[in-house]
Amino acid sequence: MEFFIAQVLNGLSLGSIYVLLVTGFNLMLLVAKIIQFAYPQFVVISMYATWAVLRATNNVILAILVTIVVSIFLNLLSEPIFRRITSIKGTDINATFVASIGLSMVLVEIMSHSLNQGFPISFSDNWVGGSVFRYGIINISRSSIFAWVGGIIVVVAFFYLLYRTMVGRLFRAIAENRHVAKLFGIPIFKTSIMSYLIAGLLGGFIALLLSMLIGTASPWLGESVALKVLAVSIVAGLGNLKGGLFVGLALGVVESVAIGYVAGSWSNVIAFVIMLIVILAKPKGLFGAAVE
Amino acid sequence: MNNNGTTFLKMNNVNVFYDSIQALKNISLEVAKSEFVVLIGANGAGKSTLLKSILNIQAPKGSINFKGKELTKLHTDEIVANGISIIPEGHLIFNSMSVLENLQLGTYHGKKKEQSIENIFGYFPILRERKEQTAGTLSGGEQQMLSIGRGLLSDPELILVDEPSLGLAPKIVNDIFDILVKLNNVGYTILLSEQNAKKSLEIADRAYVLETGNIVMEGQADDLLNDEEIKDAYLGGSI
Repeated sequence: MEFFIAQVLNGLSLGSIYVLLVTGFNLMLLVAKIIQFAYPQFVVISMYATWAVLRATNNVILAILVTIVVSIFLNLLSEPIFRRITSIKGTDINATFVASIGLSMVLVEIMSHSLNQGFPISFSDNWVGGSVFRYGIINISRSSIFAWVGGIIVVVAFFYLLYRTMVGRLFRAIAENRHVAKLFGIPIFKTSIMSYLIAGLLGGFIALLLSMLIGTASPWLGESVALKVLAVSIVAGLGNLKGGLFVGLALGVVESVAIGYVAGSWSNVIAFVIMLIVILAKPKGLFGAAVE
Repeated sequence: MNNNGTTFLKMNNVNVFYDSIQALKNISLEVAKSEFVVLIGANGAGKSTLLKSILNIQAPKGSINFKGKELTKLHTDEIVANGISIIPEGHLIFNSMSVLENLQLGTYHGKKKEQSIENIFGYFPILRERKEQTAGTLSGGEQQMLSIGRGLLSDPELILVDEPSLGLAPKIVNDIFDILVKLNNVGYTILLSEQNAKKSLEIADRAYVLETGNIVMEGQADDLLNDEEIKDAYLGGSI
């Protein structure tokens, strides 16, 4: 039982990261109208930025700032590419999906050749932090607490923005009906840029929390994460932000518990089989898709 | 026609194409400040397209001038910011958002945001009662009121009203038309597109008749109301 609880707690930390990732992914889907498969790659590159700054200066504040700036910069940099693709007549959202898969592959190649000579990076123990609570085999680390608390704060702040501010109303208006939003004089382009910016900010926080939680990163981390983010979004219902919260956490827990009882990468298989079953039973996702 | 000497809205030789189909052909039209102008014509004559071309929705070719500005060079949001708003066909609103949120979105280009929403509640008290309600749950008439209220909040001078009577009960249609007259009386310029020719000619100053993308007739609303051709084609024969 203790072992099970320990795995669930680990799973909740990992799940918080999935929740944040799928929230950023869904925001891009709803407002910028793109399937941004490369979003987790931007997070991984931002983790490299964290690592590089920490190694060079050991300055935590600077590392946090640089990570967030790099993440925002990468997301904004991708905007003209996606805008170019979506402006071609006859293309639909799938074209952005294919393009972002391509972008993701290019980024993996770049990372595996030029960042730390392709070797995985490790974060120092200072950054990862030790244990703050121990009961038998239940061990709560500082980074887990950061992931839970950080996850909650970021999600609450994001939903506040979405439901209580003008920017959030603009996001939701475009998400509901882009055509009507345009007709009413809502600045589609400006609002779309804003969604890249917010997704970038979110990505910066994710990079920080993830680097503490797993203490390592490699050029191949992003793709495995991207598959899970895509799966979470589909299982919850594409673009369903609230559903993503639940399914993201659930995936973290299922994976973590599975890791505890079966060997290594079988946990992925179990998680994906469960999601496959859900999709077969509810093709529009557990909570209903917010986009067609 | 121009009360103050400067042009208000002037469309000159405007053409609009949907792919290879021409929806508007050489449209030239003027609306003076404070005027109430109606576009009449059958379904598919191009009335909606004409209104949307003013907002640069479907890339119009030709010239559309509003208070000295060339609208064909502006984006829709800039045109709205310049004082034109549309109350679209089918009382389009954001169904998943509350009544209040729809109105708040309407104020995006407006200035006195809080005060203006209070004004709208003054026009439509029912919207105040239902302000926390999801807009999609309103009745058709209430949605049309919300749509009009929203359209007023960007501080427009010219309001484009697209088929406001579509799908509404006669009693509610009368209410909506009364509101349009009231808005015109307090100074809003109105360009209305409407299939209900008789009713709209009764309240408008001037009218244009559209047929398959062409303006085939224009004149004072009273004259058109008594025109034999118009009577036959749009007013259900001689009365």
